[in-house]
Amino acid sequence: MGVIKPIAAETALIDTLEGATGWLGQLREATRIQGLPTRRHEMWKWSDLRRAAGEITTAGSITLTGAASGALEPADGETVELGIHASAGASAAVLGLTVKSGRSVTLVERYSSAAGSLGNFHLDIAIESGGRLERICVHDEAEEGVLIASSSIDLATDAKLTQIALAFGGKLMRNETHVMHAGEHSEASLHGVYLLDEGRHFDYTTSVHHTGPGGTTRQLVKGAVAAHARGVFQGKFKVDRLAQHTDAKMTHRALMLDDRAEIDAKPELEIYADDVQCAHGNAIGALDETALFYMRQRGIPLVQARALLIESYLAEPLDFVSGEALRDELRARLQQRLRAIS
Amino acid sequence: MLKINNLHCKVEDQDEVEKFILNGVSLEVPAGEVHAIMGPNGSGKSTLSYAVTGRDGYDVTEGSIEFNGEEIGALAPEERAARGLYLSFQYPVEIPGVPTLIFLKEALNAQRAARGEAEVTAPAFIKLAREKAKQLSISMDMLKRPVNVGFSGGEKKRLEILQALILEPKFLILDETDSGLDIDALKVVADGVNTLRSPERGMLVITHYQRLLDYIKPDVVHILAAGRIVKSGGPELAHELEAEGYDKYIGEAA
Repeated sequence: MGVIKPIAAETALIDTLEGATGWLGQLREATRIQGLPTRRHEMWKWSDLRRAAGEITTAGSITLTGAASGALEPADGETVELGIHASAGASAAVLGLTVKSGRSVTLVERYSSAAGSLGNFHLDIAIESGGRLERICVHDEAEEGVLIASSSIDLATDAKLTQIALAFGGKLMRNETHVMHAGEHSEASLHGVYLLDEGRHFDYTTSVHHTGPGGTTRQLVKGAVAAHARGVFQGKFKVDRLAQHTDAKMTHRALMLDDRAEIDAKPELEIYADDVQCAHGNAIGALDETALFYMRQRGIPLVQARALLIESYLAEPLDFVSGEALRDELRARLQQRLRAIS
Repeated sequence: MLKINNLHCKVEDQDEVEKFILNGVSLEVPAGEVHAIMGPNGSGKSTLSYAVTGRDGYDVTEGSIEFNGEEIGALAPEERAARGLYLSFQYPVEIPGVPTLIFLKEALNAQRAARGEAEVTAPAFIKLAREKAKQLSISMDMLKRPVNVGFSGGEKKRLEILQALILEPKFLILDETDSGLDIDALKVVADGVNTLRSPERGMLVITHYQRLLDYIKPDVVHILAAGRIVKSGGPELAHELEAEGYDKYIGEAA
């Protein structure tokens, strides 16, 4: 197979990653050989990155605030606040984080990107045995940017991961999370909320690979999508033969706020063990017209009634945020956004 | 107060076929009076309540709806509500995730804002809700739950009346408020409705059975069949229907 002729964004990314090693080196190599993924790649069929990056010609940079070095080892009880900003142009950055055995850590990532950006920020996370990580990904500011927040999470035995993403989308925005789940009393939760105004695109792609027995996984993703916007959910649970007694549930529910909205969902179970409890549910619907009329009959104006109904539909995954101040902040952001779009 | 003249209304069914449900309803309810509408299933009773309150999909093709001298046929449902029109639903709607108290406060303040009145503060609203809830034996705990979610049929109907007590509309339409109620619940609901009777307020009570009218005594009874008022009379008409059934009116309308 010959090397494809790179587009300007690919050349810029390859150049800026010259000499990179590790994950960044792999990204450079993949981009050099295969180019940016397109809709022909199964994993990217609803999020054509090459097309979205079409107008980018220069290298850019990712500015990271809140983290000093390339590897974090937060103390027990610590909250790490990361700001990740992608400037215009093509760029990538990587950060490692380890939750040491017995420690409980909160990680808050706030993403933003400039118009004309193609940024890929990758987190390599390890949660050691007995460790707990609550990870909040806030994807709420990305006007015309293309931003990929990817992560690999290694979940040891007796460990816990709770991830909650809140996304308002961008030109193309994707949160891609891969969890290796060792089981043995470990729990992973990968929740999310997306609310997409006209023209926005958000893609929540997650995979959980159960390699050991007795692991638990929970996933609740809720979305609402306006006209000419696109929401993508790809969720995969893979359960090895060794991973007996795995208990895994996936639910994705989304609202089309307009006939011209698009929601693509692929819930997937790949199970090789015979004694497991695994389920997935996926439902796409429209706002309940009867409820809307009921509210209006009581005097609540249409715009406000819609916002209340959408909020009540979307809010549940945010209940999993354990810190009250942060939970209130995320709810307030959701309400603010709803007022702006409805 | 409410004056409906020659109202024609069509709706689209699930197969997108248009069908006329109301074929020229005329009706006038003056302030201070309670009128009952009785009729067999499919006669257009619920359609009439939706057409008057402005539900989407209930297309008024002819006729007029006047409320206190104003033509309201082109107004949005929330505008009609703010003018004082209230519908107690036959099937109250569940709204998961929205606590009842918050829903009611938003509704009251939205109506007040539309009328140019000041907002009711949170403490004042709680006081009002507590007082009115007590009257209907509704606990404050119930009002903290999402609107109608997990409520029994009787609780839902009581909540419809509680909302009316709090919103204090000028005109109430009660759509099959007696359905799904046992006799004790029916009395509680009827008592609530009767406290709202006043010389300034009108009511339209839609019912299939005469039973409710023993507790909410109407001034006038109308019989609706095949989308038209086929007969109007005093309370005795309800008793006549109870004894003889709707058969002869179905025949007349066709």
